[in-house]
Amino acid sequence: MSIPREPLRRIAIVGGGQLSVLAAIAFRRALPVCEVVLVGQQPSPASFADWSPTALPFTNKLHDRLGIVESELILKAGGSYRLVSRFAGWGAAEQGGVLSYGETLDPSLKTAFAREWGGYRRNPTGLRQAGSLAEVLADAGRFAPPPPDAATPISDIDYALRWNPTAYRDLLIGHAQALQVQYVEGRVDAVVPGEGDMVRAISIAGQGQIEGDLFVDCSGPAATLLASQPGFENSDWSDSLPTRTVYLGETGAPVIALEDRVLLGKTGWTTQVAGRDGLYTALGVGEGVSREIALATLGVPAAAAITMSPGCAARPWIGNVVALGDAAARFEPLGPYHLDLAHRQLDLLLEMLPGCSIEPLERAEYNRRSVLMMEGVRDILALHFASQSAREMFGEQTMPGRTGEVIDQFQRRGRLPFREESPHLSQEQFALLVALGFKPGLPPVARHSDGAEEEQARAQFAAASQAALEFAPPYQQWLISALQAG
Amino acid sequence: MGGVKDGSDQPVRVVVLGGGTAGWMTAAGIARLLPETAQVQLVESEDIGIVGVGEATLPHIRGFVEKLGIDEAAFMKATHATYKLGIDFRDFGRIGESYIHPFGSFGEELNGVGFHHYWLELERQGLARPLGEYSLAVTAALANRFTPPSQDDSLSSTYGYAYQFDATLFGPFMREFGMSIGVERHEGKVTSVDRDGESGDVLALKLEDGRRIEGDLFIDCSGFRSLLLGQELDVEWEDWTHWLPCDRAAAMPCTHATDDIRPYTTATAMPAGWRWQIPLQHRMGNGYVFSSAHISEDEACEMIREAAEGEPLADPRILRFRPGRRSRSWSHNVIGVGLASGFLEPLESTSIYLAQMAITYLIELFPEDGRIDPRDRDEFNRLVDMEYDRVRDFLILHYNATTRDDSEFWNHVRTMTVPDSLADKLELWRRAGRIEKYSDGLFYDASWIAVYVGQGLLPQQHDVRPALGNPQQLAGAAEKLHEAVKREVAAMPGHREYLQAEAARLAAAA
Repeated sequence: MSIPREPLRRIAIVGGGQLSVLAAIAFRRALPVCEVVLVGQQPSPASFADWSPTALPFTNKLHDRLGIVESELILKAGGSYRLVSRFAGWGAAEQGGVLSYGETLDPSLKTAFAREWGGYRRNPTGLRQAGSLAEVLADAGRFAPPPPDAATPISDIDYALRWNPTAYRDLLIGHAQALQVQYVEGRVDAVVPGEGDMVRAISIAGQGQIEGDLFVDCSGPAATLLASQPGFENSDWSDSLPTRTVYLGETGAPVIALEDRVLLGKTGWTTQVAGRDGLYTALGVGEGVSREIALATLGVPAAAAITMSPGCAARPWIGNVVALGDAAARFEPLGPYHLDLAHRQLDLLLEMLPGCSIEPLERAEYNRRSVLMMEGVRDILALHFASQSAREMFGEQTMPGRTGEVIDQFQRRGRLPFREESPHLSQEQFALLVALGFKPGLPPVARHSDGAEEEQARAQFAAASQAALEFAPPYQQWLISALQAG
Repeated sequence: MGGVKDGSDQPVRVVVLGGGTAGWMTAAGIARLLPETAQVQLVESEDIGIVGVGEATLPHIRGFVEKLGIDEAAFMKATHATYKLGIDFRDFGRIGESYIHPFGSFGEELNGVGFHHYWLELERQGLARPLGEYSLAVTAALANRFTPPSQDDSLSSTYGYAYQFDATLFGPFMREFGMSIGVERHEGKVTSVDRDGESGDVLALKLEDGRRIEGDLFIDCSGFRSLLLGQELDVEWEDWTHWLPCDRAAAMPCTHATDDIRPYTTATAMPAGWRWQIPLQHRMGNGYVFSSAHISEDEACEMIREAAEGEPLADPRILRFRPGRRSRSWSHNVIGVGLASGFLEPLESTSIYLAQMAITYLIELFPEDGRIDPRDRDEFNRLVDMEYDRVRDFLILHYNATTRDDSEFWNHVRTMTVPDSLADKLELWRRAGRIEKYSDGLFYDASWIAVYVGQGLLPQQHDVRPALGNPQQLAGAAEKLHEAVKREVAAMPGHREYLQAEAARLAAAA
């Protein structure tokens, strides 16, 4: 007979940023019998997951499960909505594109059976019928979050949230306190080993030791705990990801927009995230770009300059130490991937929640999937640097994993080989590749596609767009009234 | 770059060798989906019998039928098809025990914890019903009821269905369809194969009467003989007999023994293998899949005669096969589809799926101008290998997860060394009740759980979270799910009733 695992008695989470607080909430909710101690310090600016003002749609689902309500984010944490990311400069001149979220409009893909048994999952072409509703709304500046329980013309639109990281962290701390997460402010100055590769306790400078069954390392790129574990190994990504310095701009005036930007300029890439508290600008440059030139390109005063050495932990879970966020993977903030990755890894850890004694195979399965997740992000970033203009700017990079095959299949056949644990659905990746200037080939079956069918899809999309535009209010007006009502 | 064509606008000449199920599925699929790109010819001989693999199918077949634009009701009528909600496995884990592997799930994940952990906890507390009573597909199957699933997110969308049909009628149905959309059929036996002296590519098939069928791309659907891929190109065969020792089947159709038509296939473990019962509209398919190393063909025929429930409609017929696959399914300009490229015994009704999957990948990776890009060939082979290996591991599980020690056969499969890829999955389940996750290929969490639990392989431990709540509350929630499942099933028509209604609807439409 199967017996339940002996529950963890105490989880210690190291890290003082928004990631560690959310992890603490998640563990307390998952396992109310377990003490959760957060050992915090102000994270360094290089801890991108801790300072990211945005994530991807997955985070919204995680929030829902953890009782963090969207309206609360809007009212208390400077929250706002992103429907699309606009790309420019990556391909040939004048070329650009838009990435929105969500899978196909085909209803046969949405049944519970199809999800669980895979009956109709495969969608090799990933073809977007004719753009996305999200793009139509972003262009028109119209949107309001659709009511959750009603079918509306905009209910199928998936979106990402943005927020002010400090206010968001404060909001999460409120939740954590209500859940009796314990908090120790301080710095870890020693790791006390237990048997084998287990950690028995961590020592906090001047404050004694904290014992635990599981230690979660959210300490940022230093990976304070994981890097001190025997057998710690780093997989170097610097052959594939050429960004060597990231400049973060001071946030300027508030921007209300449904889109963010991912641009390739003359000296490097720039991302602009529209926050209600200001525009978050980041610039990434390769080897040999002087500080002066970079600062001039950034266009706003620099708040920080961060040196990059991209890579990930070959095993993010060693012994009873699990690294999340920048402690597990370090890469440039080219898009909203840091927090998305960290949250998916956190979700995986919750799914595989160990007992007091950790099963090596369970840990191995976590590491297998977690590494797939990290490499999935690496591969998506590598696609950016494989674009025509990025190659001219940064030089040729090693194509990691199967990215070479992905580009080849996409360009010749408009086909995207399936990849486990990718941050993007196949349709999203299709849009991303187009936005980066890759021209999709025509899938063999599309050569004979019925003109009438295509016309019908176009007409359906036009009608859906019209309905969405009529239903959605002007975003700015909606936001103002929502904030006033709140 | 391989291929013999020079990139002109002429359609690619596809020559399919073999007119069995795989051959006509391939020919019809390519002709339908690549009408201008490909010109399809098929060579078959009336003197060569077909194996007619797979009377039972997986839900994916529906996608194929639909994509080809075939009307479901007409197709079902022509092949005397019934609906299938899963497979009832009897006596596999232990004699006297049975379970259904459904096309569907068991319960729902709750707070990020899989339903099976809740079930294991209820089981520990003595509060659990059999796992299948929380599954709509299982409950409907056992009640002999059927209705198509809904297309939303509700409980009634948590299953799928496939068909059980007469394989000897499916091939001809696909032939008629294929020929109606322009597949050119050549009757005759291949006597030799012309190859390019330099590249080794196949140029043409020569028939007995001297005809020469030229092509750019050759699809080997010649069954186990694997005339092109195996015999001509000598592509290595990876033998899996040591894991899947069954290498024969004794097939014998019977009449129905009862009025009910089961919306599921039955697989009953036997001393040297297992036997199938596949209910069609007009008869019951029966057969004994066995290991010839453990019993003789005569013994097997005798046993299927004894075991079959209805009146025999023919003498038992012996089919011989070998489990395994070619190291490459696509070599030069030859692509193997169906048995010519690999075989896995029909325990989970995967034969037609494996052919369909190869056709789908081939169409995705089709060399449109006749030039074969080695990158497409490699991608095809990677995908086919992945599919075969996943199915293989899942099949081995059915034999290995047993306590049976009543025959040499079961002693062998119970104690054999399984592939590493399966050993890790098994151990992860045994220790922690977790499933190794993947989203590509066939058989996800629910399938693995069905077999693990169904064959009595319970883990040592499960997730602690279900044990932390109030047990009565947990039991109450599970009971509510069971009640909802029962209500849904009670509202479904009987399987025979639904088949009759569909037939009437078709007749009225005509």
